[in-house]
Amino acid sequence: MTGIQTTADRQAATDVPVSASGIGRPGSDVACGAALAGLPGMTPVRLAKILDDVNPVRAWQELAHGRHPADEKRRFMNAVRKIDPDVVAKDYERAGVSVHLRTASSYPPVLRGDPGAPAVLFSRGAPSVVEAGPRVAIVGTRSATTYGLQTASELARDLASAGVVVVSGLALGIDGAAHTGALRTGRLDAAPPVAVVGTGLDVVYPKSNASLWREVEDHGVVFSEAALGTTPRTRVFPARNRIIAALSDVVVVVECQLGGGALYTAEAAARRSIPVCAVPGSVRSPASAGTNGLLVDGCTPVRDVDDVLTAVALSRCGRDSPAPAVQASTFVAAKGRDRASPRSTPTRSARETKSTSGRRQSQGSPLPSGPASVQLSFDPGVLSDDARTVLAALEGSPTTMDAVLRRTGLSLARAAAACDALVRAGAVDTGPGWWATR
Amino acid sequence: MIATIPSAVLVGVNGTRISVEVHVSNGLPGFTVVGLPDAAVRESRDRVRAALLSSGLTWPLRRVTVNLAPSGVRKGGAGLDLPIAIGVLVASGELDREAVDGLAFVGELGLDGSLRGITGMVVLAEALAGHTVVVPEASANEARLPAADGDVRSAGCLRLLVECLAGRRPWPRLRSHPPSAPHRGPGPWDPDDSGDLADVTGQPFARRALEVAAAGGHHLLLVGPPGSGKTMLAMRLPGLLPDLDRPTGLEVSRIHSVAGLPLPGDGLVERPPFRAPHHGASPVSMIGGGTAWMRPGEISLAHGGVLFLDEMGEFSTTVLDALRQPLEEGEVRVSRARGTATFPARLLMVGAMNPCPCGEGGLPGACRCSVGAKERYARRLSAPLLDRFDLAIRVDRPSVDDLISSRPGEPTAAVATRVAEARAQAARRGVRSNAELPGPQLDESVPMSDGAAALLELCLRDGTLSARGLHRVRRIARTVADLDRAGDTVHASHVHEALVLRSRRGALLGFDG
Repeated sequence: MTGIQTTADRQAATDVPVSASGIGRPGSDVACGAALAGLPGMTPVRLAKILDDVNPVRAWQELAHGRHPADEKRRFMNAVRKIDPDVVAKDYERAGVSVHLRTASSYPPVLRGDPGAPAVLFSRGAPSVVEAGPRVAIVGTRSATTYGLQTASELARDLASAGVVVVSGLALGIDGAAHTGALRTGRLDAAPPVAVVGTGLDVVYPKSNASLWREVEDHGVVFSEAALGTTPRTRVFPARNRIIAALSDVVVVVECQLGGGALYTAEAAARRSIPVCAVPGSVRSPASAGTNGLLVDGCTPVRDVDDVLTAVALSRCGRDSPAPAVQASTFVAAKGRDRASPRSTPTRSARETKSTSGRRQSQGSPLPSGPASVQLSFDPGVLSDDARTVLAALEGSPTTMDAVLRRTGLSLARAAAACDALVRAGAVDTGPGWWATR
Repeated sequence: MIATIPSAVLVGVNGTRISVEVHVSNGLPGFTVVGLPDAAVRESRDRVRAALLSSGLTWPLRRVTVNLAPSGVRKGGAGLDLPIAIGVLVASGELDREAVDGLAFVGELGLDGSLRGITGMVVLAEALAGHTVVVPEASANEARLPAADGDVRSAGCLRLLVECLAGRRPWPRLRSHPPSAPHRGPGPWDPDDSGDLADVTGQPFARRALEVAAAGGHHLLLVGPPGSGKTMLAMRLPGLLPDLDRPTGLEVSRIHSVAGLPLPGDGLVERPPFRAPHHGASPVSMIGGGTAWMRPGEISLAHGGVLFLDEMGEFSTTVLDALRQPLEEGEVRVSRARGTATFPARLLMVGAMNPCPCGEGGLPGACRCSVGAKERYARRLSAPLLDRFDLAIRVDRPSVDDLISSRPGEPTAAVATRVAEARAQAARRGVRSNAELPGPQLDESVPMSDGAAALLELCLRDGTLSARGLHRVRRIARTVADLDRAGDTVHASHVHEALVLRSRRGALLGFDG
């Protein structure tokens, strides 16, 4: 079924206010929905079957009597008899988590028509921000390179500045960088961030993202289809990825290995005919193997925010969805530079942020671009001969000392000194045992 | 009739001299052993009787009582077969008392009268200094090690031995034997087996780290994906080390003898041993101990040489943490209810591990492990243990170009020459290797150029170097300068090299914490 087909009685039962304060009504559909989602052994697919054409209170009663057609094995009967939905609802109220049934008006409209949409969705923050503008998902690997992190962060920042809602998964690496970028626009009218997580909304995972998680809740919304207390398990993340895809108008994969989790998102998007874009990377970097593979498969390459905005405009122009929030004023037809793109690419010259323009200015320099502050303080002229030799041997992908020595023929002492000088000058990135150009 | 034969048994890794008293008297035929014998000694009754009969000698049909004095010490091992047999022969009048005057006996008997070698002969002979020691032929080389040549005699079987004692035949000449007794387990590291450094193609960084580790005695941690040649590199480390000096060689020989490892032809271990225990090793097998008698562990068997811990993340944390104190002190004290034993354990530790469970981590973008899995993996190595590794490097698979090029790397012999020179420099500073330079001596032994001092200060200020790491880096820089024959002063380039050879070890494991 799809959630849009509502009968009169279900409409009446579910159109209660679904804010945290509305949960407590005894035996309400919302309470039963939340309790159903939290039953042990419940999966998104089973939940969708159980709530198919039945309102949650009825479903709850039929499960308790072992009569529900979707539960012939009476898998949930005992659990249902022991649980009081009102107690569950109180838990959600206390946790500040809103519950959205698919038939309720607070349910994100973009998900309603989706065949894989969760039957019950939880949120913390302001769920309405999903409609604040067109939505672009920025996803990618957890073990990202500096290149990927910077690209994700800049893309998200520029998209949010342009009024595009950035959707991501609050994971380490690309996801975290995307949320951080969307939050750091320095503009009051920037689009709010949207996150979809795999765990329960009270289980912050990974823990190192806890403060970022709070910020996203405060400025935007965090969604989850998992009941409170759901711990990070491998199967929850691919399921989460389908919601990210379904929410978005365009999916951008920044960096992803072969077989990486972000490819699930890309696949889920492709199945929904949502355009998938990919940021090209070095062919030597395993972190870009998946994205480069997507490009070979025909995905749109992304060089900067303009490419994404073009894809968004193309994606939305065919739909009769209400009022795209990217106003005409956001795009100015004038173009900053010649592009090989056959499309006419709108560019936001009025909204160029400071560091974006800094990045543009550096394009003529022989060095790969990096953060503006570093660029200003770095003058390649002061480098020693050794440092120049090493710099020429380094690549954007992490290079080990063995490779540096082999390519330069320098002694270890000289190569080490050159690497140190390059790192201190800001021309080179380093990590445990590797060096890479910025 | 009574006979007293001097012999020795193992207590821990030391020999203790004992007397074997044999009394043969009239009475019901029987055989009693008293004086805290263990099962092996009590069983010697049957071996001794069969050996005498097989050798054509007479077993007295009288009452035989054997006392092992002092009676308070527990005696173990089969080495008392021979002194008991000789005692019976003397006490029953088969052999003249004068024939065994001033002789001590150690050895095991076979049922056919053959003499078999036993473990720990080096320390047993040491305990019997002052006597002429009569030992099985197989153990003669070990017995000769602590004593002067003339004080050891040996024979291959009991009948031959008795004839020599009686003066009917001359003693057989002692000669060097190839390592014997295949039942004793794997032999020590054999320089011919382990391969030459020339086999390692490419990997200039890892080769240099190996050279610095050998020259300075710095413990080395190799982190890299499977197939990057970590084991191959570690196997070639002992070849770079100089020969053992005689006191260390003797210590190593004693331990290997007690542990039952075969010794080289002349009994003295001269090449540094190489031990690579499997990661399933128990704490006792690593540290030493045991119930029946104290056995040295792998860290003592590696004394003077290299202890290689492959797949270090798979060792149990108990075993790894037990290594910390011995590594610091150069010896290990094993205490049990029955007593305390001290084994030497001065060794060069080489650890090898994957950066994370999937093996591909370390470089961004390649690893697919979950954060939790990486943390669990890295947590198996405690920070204090990681801190023992002066050198920590990332090893990578050799490039395709290097693999197909036929150009061999620098051979072991050439590198070993530089290592020996650097070790000689360290000896002039009064230490075996630069890793042992005491903190207060660093200012005197490691004078810094202005550039080097400024670089270290910079690293301290920006937090890439801790106060604790500072001393380590100075010692490594000293070794690097010695290898470069740079004279007394340590320059900035040496410090640079030292810093790059000492990656942050937690970070190498893909986990900063």
